[in-house]
Amino acid sequence: MKSPLLENERFVQIAAPLFVGVVFLLLWEAVVRATGTPVYILPGPVDIGKAFVEDWGVLFHSLLMTLKVTLMAFAISVVLGTAASLLFVQSRWIEVSLFPYAVLMQVTPIVAIAPLIIIWVDDTTWALTVCAVIIAIFPIISNTTLGLRSVDPNLLSMFRMYRTGRLQQLIRLRIPSALPYFFGGMRISTGLALIGAVVAEFVAGTGGTQAGLAYLILQSGYNLDIPRMFAALGLITLTGITLFALMVWLSDRVLRNWHESALKVEQ
Amino acid sequence: MTHVKAIRPEVVVAGQDPDTAGTPQSSSRAGRPIVDVHGVDKVYNNGTVALKDVELTVKEGEFVSLLGPSGCGKSTLLRLMAGLGDVTRGEVKWWEQGYDVVGQKGRKLAFVFQNATLMPWARVRKNVRLPLDLNREKGPDTEQRIDQALDMVGLNKFGDAYPRELSGGMQMRVSIARAMVTEPNLLLMDEPFGALDEMTRNKLNDDLLRLWKANGWTVVFVTHSVYEAVYLSNRVVVMAARPGRVIEDVPIEAPYPRGQEFRVSTEFAGYCRRVSEALEVASRQGEEADS
Repeated sequence: MKSPLLENERFVQIAAPLFVGVVFLLLWEAVVRATGTPVYILPGPVDIGKAFVEDWGVLFHSLLMTLKVTLMAFAISVVLGTAASLLFVQSRWIEVSLFPYAVLMQVTPIVAIAPLIIIWVDDTTWALTVCAVIIAIFPIISNTTLGLRSVDPNLLSMFRMYRTGRLQQLIRLRIPSALPYFFGGMRISTGLALIGAVVAEFVAGTGGTQAGLAYLILQSGYNLDIPRMFAALGLITLTGITLFALMVWLSDRVLRNWHESALKVEQ
Repeated sequence: MTHVKAIRPEVVVAGQDPDTAGTPQSSSRAGRPIVDVHGVDKVYNNGTVALKDVELTVKEGEFVSLLGPSGCGKSTLLRLMAGLGDVTRGEVKWWEQGYDVVGQKGRKLAFVFQNATLMPWARVRKNVRLPLDLNREKGPDTEQRIDQALDMVGLNKFGDAYPRELSGGMQMRVSIARAMVTEPNLLLMDEPFGALDEMTRNKLNDDLLRLWKANGWTVVFVTHSVYEAVYLSNRVVVMAARPGRVIEDVPIEAPYPRGQEFRVSTEFAGYCRRVSEALEVASRQGEEADS
């Protein structure tokens, strides 16, 4: 007999991965207990959960710091990245001259340039933000530029027939055509902004009230407080997933009426 | 400037004038030239000669089809008539003048593309009003004109739908409504029904003839179907490829309105044979040019 719950697509989507997660955690706890592994090598989920509750004050404060850098970097990436794309599509010359430098920025490992930026920028929060922007901005630039160029050639002909100006073309045609690509870029960019914020903090190693999750991981490592390390790591992952889900939701909301990516097709 | 006496009112508002609807067009066949292609060559940058020494005059009220094998430049010719792209040699005139007059009252041009070419992010109404927006027409009657255009293509209930919610045939009708909303005098259509199934195509052919009569359009229609060309047109212009050129201009003298009886008549079959033979010659010439 089939249960009606199992027929429900939404329920399955949430329940199935949750089930896998719970089984994994149970196995983990069982292995740790059975082998008697010490907590400073590999804590079980129960120990990590305890750390979560006991150190919540520190964890939450660090989370806010990391989140602040991540969101600032993401916002700046979206604004600057979009501006750069709009500039690129104005002329082939501008794009050809500048695009290689955008690629250059992308392929240079952030770990390698972070120390420089931390020397140049006095304020730590801003230094971290700059590092995160450097890697988060590229998907926005490349995707949005591609989108602004992916215009139905016949629609473009129609605009030309009416001798429409560039601004009208941009507003009525290029920007709407670019939206799906732009949202695709945003999805990748949020993850990169978070990674950038964490990596930069590892390099900067800032402590005190400015400490984010990365510093907490470093510090917990020195103190062999491995459960707290896992708790911080868990928070980073959770943040990344939440941001990604938020982007998916946003793009589905905006595109749901017309774009293939946001459609639910019944087979 | 010499103004030839207007044969019908400069602008016939779609569907508002039942008297002119269904009036035989024969009186206007000798009308003034609407678009005049004179000695035109079109050579693309890569050296392809798309058109060679093309002469074609389309007169007011005519329904002219351009027919030919692929690569004969029929779409290129149509695009030149729409003012898209420059001629390499020769000239194109609209209402006996330059492209500047296009868009003035009584001299409006609309283009219907091979696929519906709608903006997927905009609802049907917004798609239909696009030409008005691009022309910055904001008059109080715009909403009414959009309603009328949608009425004419039988889509008045679908104004708030998104294009992807409609079938291919309905999308094509939206595309036609978008052309109609400008109240065009010259309608250029590039294989508009090529991607549709035969039943939908026949239905849209009949709709098009009805609208052509009701609105006093001049139509240039590109197609690769002999039957469609003969069924719709006063004149079928047959083109050959490599280089693209006009090889025959076949008048179709059957009276309008044409309907199902015309489709099965011996007259229709006779015209189809004649046009097919011309097309055969066109294809052979193209192949000879290849070898």
